Amino acid sequence: MHLRAFLLSALRSATSGGRRYHLWMGGLTVIMLAGGYAYLEQANHGLVVTGMNDHVSWGLYISNLAFLVGLAAAAVILVLPAYILKDVDFSQAVLIAEGVAVSALVMCLAFVMANSPGWPWKWWRLAPGVGLLNWPDSMLAWDVILLNGYLVLNLAIPFYILYSHYVGREPLKRKYVPFIYVSVFWAVSIHLVTAFLFSGLTARPFWNSALLGPRFLASAFTAGPAFMILLLGFIRSNSEYPISDSAISKLATVTAVAAQVNLVMLLSELIFEFFTPTHHNISARYLFFGLGEHDALVPWIRTGIALNVTATITLMIHPLRKNPRVLMWACAALFLGIWVEKGIGLVIPGFIPSPLGEIVEYAPTWVELWVTAGIWAMGMFVLTVLVRVALPIELGVLRSPHLEDSQPYRVVRPRSTRTRYPDVRPVRKR
Amino acid sequence: MSDDGNSVTPDGAEDGTVLQKPVDRRGALGMLAAGVAAGAAAASACRPLNAATPEERELRVLEWQEFTQKHYRRMTDAERAETIQRIERLAKIRHDEDVTIATTDAQPGVLFGYAFNISKCKGYRNCIEACINENNLDRASDTQYIRIFEMEDGGINLEEADATYQHEVPAEGHFYLGTQCFQCANPPCVPVCPVGATWQEPDGIVVIDYNWCVGCRACMAACPYWARRFNWAQAEVPLNEVNPNQHYLGNRARKKGVVEKCTFCIHRTRKGQLPACVAACPPGARVFGNLLDPDSEIRWVLANKHLFRLKEELATEPRYWYFSD
Amino acid sequence: MWTRLVNGVVCLAVVGIASGCVDEQRPERETAALAADTGLTDIDLAVAAFNAQRQPGELPTVQAAPVDRWAGPGARPFEVAVRTSKQEAGHPRRFGSITLETALRIRPVSQYPCTSCHFGRTVVMTDDRIDDAHQNIQPVHPEETGALCSTCHSADNVERLALAQGEPVTLTESYRLCAQCHFQQAEAWAGGAHGKRLDGWQGRRVVMGCGDCHDPHSPAIQQRIPFRAPELERARTTHE
Ligand code: SF4
Ligand code: SF4
Repeated sequence: MHLRAFLLSALRSATSGGRRYHLWMGGLTVIMLAGGYAYLEQANHGLVVTGMNDHVSWGLYISNLAFLVGLAAAAVILVLPAYILKDVDFSQAVLIAEGVAVSALVMCLAFVMANSPGWPWKWWRLAPGVGLLNWPDSMLAWDVILLNGYLVLNLAIPFYILYSHYVGREPLKRKYVPFIYVSVFWAVSIHLVTAFLFSGLTARPFWNSALLGPRFLASAFTAGPAFMILLLGFIRSNSEYPISDSAISKLATVTAVAAQVNLVMLLSELIFEFFTPTHHNISARYLFFGLGEHDALVPWIRTGIALNVTATITLMIHPLRKNPRVLMWACAALFLGIWVEKGIGLVIPGFIPSPLGEIVEYAPTWVELWVTAGIWAMGMFVLTVLVRVALPIELGVLRSPHLEDSQPYRVVRPRSTRTRYPDVRPVRKR
Repeated sequence: MSDDGNSVTPDGAEDGTVLQKPVDRRGALGMLAAGVAAGAAAASACRPLNAATPEERELRVLEWQEFTQKHYRRMTDAERAETIQRIERLAKIRHDEDVTIATTDAQPGVLFGYAFNISKCKGYRNCIEACINENNLDRASDTQYIRIFEMEDGGINLEEADATYQHEVPAEGHFYLGTQCFQCANPPCVPVCPVGATWQEPDGIVVIDYNWCVGCRACMAACPYWARRFNWAQAEVPLNEVNPNQHYLGNRARKKGVVEKCTFCIHRTRKGQLPACVAACPPGARVFGNLLDPDSEIRWVLANKHLFRLKEELATEPRYWYFSD
Repeated sequence: MWTRLVNGVVCLAVVGIASGCVDEQRPERETAALAADTGLTDIDLAVAAFNAQRQPGELPTVQAAPVDRWAGPGARPFEVAVRTSKQEAGHPRRFGSITLETALRIRPVSQYPCTSCHFGRTVVMTDDRIDDAHQNIQPVHPEETGALCSTCHSADNVERLALAQGEPVTLTESYRLCAQCHFQQAEAWAGGAHGKRLDGWQGRRVVMGCGDCHDPHSPAIQQRIPFRAPELERARTTHE
């Protein structure tokens, strides 16, 4: 009875909103439809309609996968303090972080599917029993299991909490905290396993580095919180939902630290590659300087690094970091910079030159771009719906109509942020 | 003609269940799971059954069976025979090709090895041509398993080498080095496959079940010798150029979206013939044989020549050696 | 409400645009004409096609006589393919810019018998010849190595070959002749590292003789145009 009401009110909450909301969702739907059409095109003709080829056999899709796994894993930055260390500042943001994780995972799985159009209808070959899951040998098999598992965890925990609040109960700690512990380790492992997917390949010296796993984590803990800051900033200025300044300032600190670690690791990779030039650094040479007339990625990576460095320096300077406007810009720059550095800047040079030294460059086609845009739109769509459902429940506005006591159940109590953190100005006056 | 080889090499047909797994329940489950998964996909592709001609209807049924078929290594002999019959029939319906598909197993006591003489190779690329014809490689994208690299005397540097030379060969001051799948003894391409669609056979050939491969291309990223090719679109071979003498694990028709590679001409070598590249090489720069036979030519080369292999440091242990006079 | 309507219209428009883009991407899938510019002759193609089907055991051969002290791998006897003028005999013969006309050379050379000019008598080696009259024989081998005609040809009959000790040999046994100087190559040949095995890797071992590849008078391999090169960018240009 409650469940049906829950789903109904969730649906109502997700489909009602102002004009801007409908424009946003409508726009996303349009992009998704276009992406779906491009996907059909690629399913019908084969991947020949993409820019990938026998030399560069992974492209934009796997690049996005590498990046988005990080975004998903970064939820742990809020989950760990909020649930386990009982950090009150993060307790309001944690559900949103889990929503980000869910949408990132949906995008990850969609990119895996798009990368091999055979998958949607051949997935049963992975199913244990009927199929032949090459586990534990295959990192990709690990990845698919872990991504799905993490998706289930990140759907189930918030669902339980939200549903409890919806029906006016306090969620039972013993019922969900064990899963929180699992999800913390799970988050780290999905990310490391995705790194091992690349670093385990001796065939590609560009990826075959022990630092790749840690670098993945560092960049995830940079891009993830940066995205959270952007999202929380948006929610805070557009809704009643109380997000404390301290939550944002803590996230900003995390981002600043992780961004520095990320840069240090990047620097040590660069010195390793270029201080004693060997045959193994040829992909890095291609990426940063180009090989002869082949230099398609050079402008990208240089922009990406410039964004990263500028944003990191900005975040390292206290007054700048504490200025909400600057903080938002820095976070956006970091997000983009890491997308370039860890997405296309990581995956594509691994294939150039080929293990036999042949150089074939890669440029995505329109089909790929549309599919990618469609998948991102889908992720944003899922995220919007999740946030749209979670916020009113947490605000106590949305509750089960079957409850006898119709008093709104207030879970979060806004506090005066100014008194506790006088040096932090609110992002916008409410 | 294609059966004659069996007189030379009786195929070990009773070795059908490599994985020793129960099969019946799995098969049924496979159908079920696939049914759920594919229902939507198939529905969009299928026109209503009653509107189709008998042949179209047959095609639909065969395609469905093909889609839900088991992993090759889990098939019983009867299932293999049925699968072969289906593929032959599909080739007839789809492309009007009359093909014979063998499932010849590895000969006991045989492990294939290959040696390439870098001082004999003249860069003619006759091997590439023979390979294209023999293995029904896609003509539209000009898929080639073999690469012949022209290198300057004095060192092996793949980055500087050129495989696209267009001049008369052999060129002054250069030597030629050919690559293809090396059938590594420790193949990095095999463990990465999430669905176990690629594996090493007892005679050392690394094969792919094209009907099981899901096209993720993890194996392409893992191969240090760039030996694998992907079917980016449906392969095209002119009807009069199709080699009808085929093997399930070798040169039979590949669908779009699966990976393929050199199999040392599994359909020839398991019958005692030489791979097409060896047979076509004018100067005889290619030596092929059984590594387990101490009196084979390949063993003589290994024992008497100075050898090297590509990227030894990766511990892939290719069964493909280079030597010079 | 009206925004939803507008969304629908925009959606259709974008899909239309997208499909326009996609159409341009559609691959031009025309099949490449094979071997038009490869510089290979029909003989090569025919032989390769025949080779692809020939079963082990179909080649005519002769048993190889032992090459000095070098036997084959495992001291197993092996066989040398008999060269015939028939294409089907096994392998592309075309080397360099010349195509070796290979008659069944167990008999004396019959193409241009010496006696057709030097008639009425046996031609004796004088190591001194009229070049213009022997255009088809380019004596690079003797010129570059300092060997004499009589190193290989029988001193009292130029149509016959003879070992150093004077024992006559046929052309099919040319390896015995060549091995007198080229002992390293002969060793490699007997072992399987030089020359070429025909007729399958299993069962009897059939190899080609020296003269199958090398023109004895000008043994170096000549240059020729190779089969077409791979196009690195091809996979991309098909769909752009
Ligand atoms: S050469 Fe490449 S494809 Fe062939 S076995 Fe080795 S790793 Fe696998
Ligand atoms: S492309 Fe096919 S064979 Fe290669 S790893 Fe993926 S499923 Fe396995």
